[in-house]
Amino acid sequence: MKSLKLLLLLAVVGLGSVATVMYSGIVNVAADEPHSDLVFWLLAETRENSIKKAAQHIAVPDLSDPELLLTGGVDYEYMCSSCHLKPGQHESDMSLGLYPAPPNLTTANKGHLGHEHGDDGQAARKNFWVIKHGIKASGMPAWGKTHDDHRIWAMVAFLKQLPTLTPEQYQVLTAID
Amino acid sequence: MKMLTKIALVLLPAMTLAMTANAHDPKLHAKKAEKADCSKMDHSKMDMKDPVAIAMMKKCMKQAEKAKSAMDHSKMDHSKMKKNEHKTKKKKGDNEHNH
Repeated sequence: MKSLKLLLLLAVVGLGSVATVMYSGIVNVAADEPHSDLVFWLLAETRENSIKKAAQHIAVPDLSDPELLLTGGVDYEYMCSSCHLKPGQHESDMSLGLYPAPPNLTTANKGHLGHEHGDDGQAARKNFWVIKHGIKASGMPAWGKTHDDHRIWAMVAFLKQLPTLTPEQYQVLTAID
Repeated sequence: MKMLTKIALVLLPAMTLAMTANAHDPKLHAKKAEKADCSKMDHSKMDMKDPVAIAMMKKCMKQAEKAKSAMDHSKMDHSKMKKNEHKTKKKKGDNEHNH
């Protein structure tokens, strides 16, 4: 009986603490004020493990067709480059203003700090899932609501080549016909 | 001296604000549909097994074909054009006659 009362008391105290934090307004949600290291780590680990688990069974199609680079390139230029940058660009309004900062996709996977991409297949699966479903409260939209899987795979194929492209190659691949 | 201090107090924040406004280039938001710049492609250095090189060639060939067909007058049916022109003239003539 005593332990039940103690459990009840702990639950009330716990809920009270959560409600106090929620309604007092003490949590700073400003994007120009970074999380503490602990909160950042908690959120990043949760995100990475969630994506890894959700994407693990996705079958990766053949991404070597050059035609995919043309479709994916144009979509990348108009949907992604303002946040994830293009060859020769180091920052943009969006890359500086968003928090967490969107990864610079013009650098090789190894250059992305804070998370691992795994092999090519795993990176492709994760990229496909993130483009299709987006990431909550991060600024990353769910493009799957307006784009079919073929078009998203084309973007994945383009992302694979993006770190190797020069600004001139990028311009040709992403230009409108 | 007081006047100088006042001017400095007004001018300094105003200049800082103006500089902040200039730092944000509105061109960054402009997205224009650009045509592929194929003039810088060096075909001799291109590996035709590389999907990037193949994709670039395809894009530039498509663009060149489009430009060619836009300029191609051989497909124009001159006989029809003359007929139409003749008809228009005739109609004009009829109209003139009616007046």
